Amino acid sequence: MHIQELILRLQRFWADRGCLIGQPYDLEKGAGTMNPLTFFGALGSKPWNVAYVEPSRRPADGRYGENPFRVYKHLQFQVILKPSPAKVQDLYIESLEALGIDLSKHDLRFEEDNWESPSLGAWGVGWQVVLDGMEISQFTYFQQVGGLDCRPVSAELTYGIERICMFLGGYDNIFDLVHGNVTTDDGVFPVTYGQMRQREEFELSAYSFEHADIDLHRTLFDAFEKEGWRLLNDHGHFLSAYEQALKMSHTFNVLDARGAVSTTERPGIIKRVRDLACACARAYLEHAEGAAVPVEAAGKGGAQ
Amino acid sequence: MSATKTFLLELHCEEIPARFLRPLHVEFNHSYFKFMEKESLLPTGMAVTPYGTVSEPLPDFMSPRKLAWRIPGLPAAQPDQTETQVGPPQRMCVDEAGKPTIQGLKFAEKWGVEFSAVRFEQPAGKKEPCAVVTITKPGRPTVELLAEALPGLIAGLHVPKAMRWGSSEFEFVRPIRNILCLFGEQVVPITVDGVAATNTTWGHRLFHRQHPEPVKIATPESYEAALEAAGVVVSVEVRRQRIAAQLETLAAEAGGRVVADPELLDTLAEIVEFPKVVRGDFPSDFLELPKEVLVVSLREHQKAFCIEQADGALLPCFLTAANREDDPEGFVKAGNEWVLKARLYDARFFFAEDRKHPLADRLEKLKALTFQRELGSYHEKTGRVVALTKALATRLSTDDAHIDRALEAARMAKCDLRTLMVGEFPELQGVMGGEYLRHEGAHEEVWKAIKEHYRPIGADDAIPGTPMGCLLSLCDKLDTVAGCFAVGLIPSGSKDPLALRRAGQGIVRILWEQGWPLTLADLVEAALKVVAPKATKPEAETREALLTFFKDRVAYQLELAGYAGSVRRSASAVGWMDLVALKARCEALSAFAEDARFASLAQSAKRIGNILKDEMPIEAFEAAVLQDATERALAERLKALEATGDHGTLLAALADLAEPLEAFFTAVMVKCDDPALRAARLSLLHRLRQAFLRVADFSLWQ
Repeated sequence: MHIQELILRLQRFWADRGCLIGQPYDLEKGAGTMNPLTFFGALGSKPWNVAYVEPSRRPADGRYGENPFRVYKHLQFQVILKPSPAKVQDLYIESLEALGIDLSKHDLRFEEDNWESPSLGAWGVGWQVVLDGMEISQFTYFQQVGGLDCRPVSAELTYGIERICMFLGGYDNIFDLVHGNVTTDDGVFPVTYGQMRQREEFELSAYSFEHADIDLHRTLFDAFEKEGWRLLNDHGHFLSAYEQALKMSHTFNVLDARGAVSTTERPGIIKRVRDLACACARAYLEHAEGAAVPVEAAGKGGAQ
Repeated sequence: MSATKTFLLELHCEEIPARFLRPLHVEFNHSYFKFMEKESLLPTGMAVTPYGTVSEPLPDFMSPRKLAWRIPGLPAAQPDQTETQVGPPQRMCVDEAGKPTIQGLKFAEKWGVEFSAVRFEQPAGKKEPCAVVTITKPGRPTVELLAEALPGLIAGLHVPKAMRWGSSEFEFVRPIRNILCLFGEQVVPITVDGVAATNTTWGHRLFHRQHPEPVKIATPESYEAALEAAGVVVSVEVRRQRIAAQLETLAAEAGGRVVADPELLDTLAEIVEFPKVVRGDFPSDFLELPKEVLVVSLREHQKAFCIEQADGALLPCFLTAANREDDPEGFVKAGNEWVLKARLYDARFFFAEDRKHPLADRLEKLKALTFQRELGSYHEKTGRVVALTKALATRLSTDDAHIDRALEAARMAKCDLRTLMVGEFPELQGVMGGEYLRHEGAHEEVWKAIKEHYRPIGADDAIPGTPMGCLLSLCDKLDTVAGCFAVGLIPSGSKDPLALRRAGQGIVRILWEQGWPLTLADLVEAALKVVAPKATKPEAETREALLTFFKDRVAYQLELAGYAGSVRRSASAVGWMDLVALKARCEALSAFAEDARFASLAQSAKRIGNILKDEMPIEAFEAAVLQDATERALAERLKALEATGDHGTLLAALADLAEPLEAFFTAVMVKCDDPALRAARLSLLHRLRQAFLRVADFSLWQ
């Protein structure tokens, strides 16, 4: 199955089951959880269902486009269901069937895998979903986000898009995946993941491991932090402040891949990101008690 | 005796992590039996242990989605309970004509009986006969008691990582989706977090693709058969046995045997509801990877077993368990093979990358790797281990080349912590360092020592197979233990986060099995010297704590070695630091304890101890003062005894003392009036005791 077909089917499936279809957030981030649609959406008491694709960057996973299984940037398909429905596992299984996976012929398991994001002050319990020995999704019941208890609890489903595509097609190399077809007057041209992304993988890996300016990134990290607290403290702006926290997080990931963060330094740096993210979460909730709720309000949910 | 019924409870949940299944199962048993005891529902003669189990083991019904308990022998109701109530004195209840008074009638009314049921007796503690009634409280139906208690018992289960779900505040290990609860054929009406109990449950997910209706469980006895028909083997032990049998068959078909891994077998049994072992293959060129890498990679990534041939070499295939009864289109096999190939590709990448640079290049990088906050980096640890190795190796060997190799091994031991492979598979620490050095052509002694220097990893694990491996392991562990003690990180109670006790036990076992001429005091002194620069506690304090710590480890080692309690106590009381001597004493004592003369000798030794208890020791021994033949004979023996060095010979000589000692105590009163004679006898006994104490303190026998 083409990558775009898989995305379209998941979007259709979840839209039909009462989810808003959101869009990726246009800042670098390590996981779909960091998108404000999830980070803020999981807070507070109001119902909230949303699904979206999120390109996720993990600088340390970069392999210069040479490793057939590991990449700097991959696609996550993220679903948030709040409160978690009683039949959430069944819903998830139906979504696999919508992708054409006939479960009567496969081995599906939910194996314990508890999720934690120290930089978001978030954790949950759940599973990795394993199909015929392959991890295809993460399934988490959020217990805390931004240092705050989740009431009600959201279920978060995260599909690894490339992995599922490779698995379904029996591909041995991620770059051989077909993203989709381009049709012109001259015919139909399949476009591979490699054509679209291999050079990007090379350059971004080289950047993360070799070229990123360490001093600049340290300066940036400090500056984003300062900016974030200023926005939050002086203006009460938790969305723009949260963006600064996301930038801090990515800057840290680059420094880390570059080998510029020692093991002793690491927890302190992560705490600085967490402190800002948690403060944003608290400010959001205070605000959400009032009238206008930026994320939850009807009509504004997916539009950023 | 009334008929009893069987109780059945099943909590059907979303997938429960395997590690919580057993603890939750046991805990519920425990609280269930406490409840039964409290409500007088326990059948007579049923033994309840602190673990809540009865004499007959309860079935271990647990699977990824189920925790279930079936407990037989429950009466239909509590036994009726009778109570005696004492009322006012007889004279106030009955008038002179023998008619009931108002007070008497009120008493009967209070307890709901006719006045004719009131008796007059004199209860203990009363001075006159009083009105007495016996009330029978009918026992309540068991089902009612269960319905009241169960929700609390379930909610009270202790879950280390509890979760909430949906909009509820209820906490449990994973969401509860169905409750089956039967007392005989009757449903026990309970509701937990909005889920009401029924007499139905759900089978395997695959089963319900064809059968949308839940599975009805007519009686507790039909439970596991009904579930097996619905694709769930609910007993974890049955699943384990089936997996083990299939593993054996499939491995034999492949031409080898399974590389045993009981923990992996347990895990597989816990994570599937209907086990089917599937064999997969991987490209044989991956066999160039070290065996340990393949075994760990298969286990950690795919929960798969390796298959080895008679010579220990692996075959290019693996076995794992699927959660279904078949693999109709080979998808399960193909999927697992596909994932494994990706994993092995990674492992081969690490193996190749790591070998692009000599292992020694990592030495510098150890500076950035913290061993322990107060104790510094692994680079610093390496320095201390090298120093310790030097101090101890020079006492064990005079061969300079050999000592140099030991130092080389110590220097390189931790380098593999900075390799990609160990980063991916931490449990390959040591193994990879050894393998990489072997590929670099290092001396066999060196790479073998490094490869095994984390052993023994547990009580069942062997010590390293080579003396150099043993020395390196000992020095590494000794630095860890002494270093932590010197900065105040001392295990206490159940708290031992750094596993220092295990490390300490490893040290003692190596010394014990190697029989090196090093005492624990020697080790402690050498270690104190190397950790001194990092110490935050006074050295004397650390020394004392370390010696106490090692004394406990030695005591445990003696227990492991299987010596009787009396042997252990009396042998170690006279010295525990020299393990070679201690072992010899224990061996000699164990053998001698069988000797017929032993009881008499031990008795005499105790008697000597009692006599000398309140006396100042008198070293100077005036043999000439002795008068009686028995004491003169003893004095002669003493001379020979004191000249004997070897423990076995000494014990044999002591054994020969049994009779003379008995004769002595029969013939002589030690504490006689003549001061000189008395002093001579006391000093004779004192010196005899000294001789005894070279082997054992008999006052601690029994």
